[in-house]
Amino acid sequence: VRCQHYPPLRALQASAALRRASDEHKKEPLTSSSQQHFDSPPAGHQPEQEPQGPRPSYTGQGGQESEDYESEEQLQHRILTAALEFVPEHGWTAEAIAEGAKTLGLSVAAAGMFHSDGSELVLHFVSECNAKLSKMLEKEQKLVQLGEAEKKPIDEFLRHAVEARLRMLIPYIEKWPQALSVLLLPRNIPSSLNLLTSMIDDIWHYAGDQSTDFNWYTRRAVLTGIYNTTELVMMQDSSPDFEDTWRFLENRVADAVTMSNTASQVQSTGEAVVQGLMGAAVTVSNAETSRAVR
Amino acid sequence: VRLWRCRCWALLSRPAGRLRASRGLAAGPEMHFGFQSVTEEERREKIYQVFESVAKKYDVMNDSMTLGIHRVWKDILMHKMNPSPGTLLLDVAGGTGDIAFRFINYVRSVRERQLQRKLKHHQNLSWQDIFESYQKDKFNSLGDSQVVVCDINREMLKVGKQKAQHLGYSEGLSWVLGNAEELPFDSDKFDVYTIAFGIRNVTRVDLALQEAYRVLKPGGRFLCLEFSHVSNPLLSRLYDLYSFQVIPVLGEVIAGDWKSYQYLVESIRRFPPQEELKAMIEDAGFFKVDYENLNFGIVAIHSGFKL
Repeated sequence: VRCQHYPPLRALQASAALRRASDEHKKEPLTSSSQQHFDSPPAGHQPEQEPQGPRPSYTGQGGQESEDYESEEQLQHRILTAALEFVPEHGWTAEAIAEGAKTLGLSVAAAGMFHSDGSELVLHFVSECNAKLSKMLEKEQKLVQLGEAEKKPIDEFLRHAVEARLRMLIPYIEKWPQALSVLLLPRNIPSSLNLLTSMIDDIWHYAGDQSTDFNWYTRRAVLTGIYNTTELVMMQDSSPDFEDTWRFLENRVADAVTMSNTASQVQSTGEAVVQGLMGAAVTVSNAETSRAVR
Repeated sequence: VRLWRCRCWALLSRPAGRLRASRGLAAGPEMHFGFQSVTEEERREKIYQVFESVAKKYDVMNDSMTLGIHRVWKDILMHKMNPSPGTLLLDVAGGTGDIAFRFINYVRSVRERQLQRKLKHHQNLSWQDIFESYQKDKFNSLGDSQVVVCDINREMLKVGKQKAQHLGYSEGLSWVLGNAEELPFDSDKFDVYTIAFGIRNVTRVDLALQEAYRVLKPGGRFLCLEFSHVSNPLLSRLYDLYSFQVIPVLGEVIAGDWKSYQYLVESIRRFPPQEELKAMIEDAGFFKVDYENLNFGIVAIHSGFKL
C-alpha cells in the first residue's frame, strides 16, 4: 500500500491530484520514463500544465520543491496499478478501477476516465507483465555475459521464459478467463495482438535468435502457439503449483526443438496448427476428466 | 409578423458571427437574452421569470418539444456517469429532479447486483448469517450514495419536491436553493457534478465552471448535458425550422407562454458550440475534457475531470 504524498497546499497549479514528479522521485528513480512522457504530451492541453522538460526548481509555500507535474497518463497508470489489487475481488471491471482510485485519495468518479469494461486495466496488466519479463531476461543475459551464469540451451531457455511469464498470472488466475475475453474484444485486438507479438519477439531476442530469413516468422509462430496453448491449459489446471502445465510446456517445447533439428528449416504454420490442436485436445480431455471426477 | 421577425433575427445574427461582447464572456454589462441584448442583472431576472412561469409545465413541455427523446438523453448521461454506490452527486440547475431520480434508480440497481454477487460467493452461510446480512443491507439500499439537487429557482424546486413525493423518492435526496455561480457548498465535497440543460441559462458560465471545479473532490467528474450546434447543414436547416416554427407554438398552446419558449430556442442558438465550451471547461482547470454529440449535435455531453 503506497503512502500518499499529496501537497497540502495547491501552490501554483490548480491540479491537486497530479502529484509533483519530485515526490515520485523520492520513491522510485523513474526520471528517464517521466521525461519520456513529457516529450509527448497529449493534444489539447492548456498552458497551465507544464509537461515539457524539467523546469528550474523553486520553493513553493511550505518549503516544498515544485518541479514537473506528472501527466495524465502517469496518473492513469498509478490508478490502474492500484486497481490491480482489487481484481481478485471485483474482476477486471470499472469497480476495481474505482476502488483503486479510492486508495489513491481520488474520487470514485475518476474511474470514468476509463472504459466501463475494464479493457485498459487488462492491457495495462499485460504490458506491465511483459515489461517485467523483459527486465528479468535482460538481467539474466547480463549475468551470462559477465560469465556468472551458464548459457541455457534453447529449449530450457524458452521453457524458463514462458513459465516465468505465465507465473505472473497466478495471483489473478481465477479472473483470467474474463481478462482473455476482454482482450479478444474487437476494439482491443490490435493492442492485445501487439503486446503478444512484442513479448514473443523479446523472448526470442534474448534467446539469441539472429535469423533474418523465413525462420524468423516460423519461430515467432511456433512460440506464439506454445504460449497460447500453455496459457489455456493453465486456465483449467488444478494440480499443485500447476505442475501439469509445466509438464505440458516442457513437452511442447521439446517437440518444437526436435522438429527443428530433424528438418533444416522449421516447417511453417503447419507446426503451430498441430500444436494448437494438441493443446486444445489436452484442454478438452482435462476438462472432461475433471468434470468426470466431480 | 412575429414569425417573420424571428426568422429575420435568426438570419441576421448568424452571418454576423459570434458577437463576443454579447456572448456574456465578461466583456461588459451587455449580455444576450435570446437574441436581445440586455445587462447582466436584467438577464438574471428575465431568466428567473421564464422558469418561474414554465415550472409547472416544464416536464410536459420537455416531452412535447423533444418528442420524449430528452428521457433518452438523460439516460445516456447516467450511463456515461456509471456511478458506483457511495457516489455523492451534485445536480445543479436540477430543478424538477430528472437527473436525481435517474441517479437513485441506477445506484439502487447496481447495489442490488453487488449484494447478489456477494451472496453468491458466500456459499456456506448459515440462515442466521443470511438473515443478518439482509437486515443490514435493507437499510443501505443506496450504498450511501446521495444526490443534492441545487437550483436557483424556487418554483422549479417546489415542482421537483412534489414530484419526488409523488414518485416515492425519499432517501439520499436533498434540495438546496443556490446559484450556480456561487454555490453554497464547501470545496472538495462532491464526486460528480452534473448540469443538464442548465448551463445555457447561467449568466456567467466561467464562474459556474470555476465553482464546479471548486466543489468537486480531486478525481471528481464534471458532466454537462446541453443543447449544442449541429454541423450538418441539411439537418441544421430542418432543426432550425422545427425550433423556430413549432416550439414557440407548442409553448403557446400547451403552456400559454410563447415568449418563454421563444427565449429557449434563441438561447440555444446563442450558446457556444462544442469546441468553445470544451475550451472554457479546460480553462476552469479540468483535465481530459471531451464531448460526445447526441443526435448529430442537437445535444452534447461534455465531460471533464478534476485531477
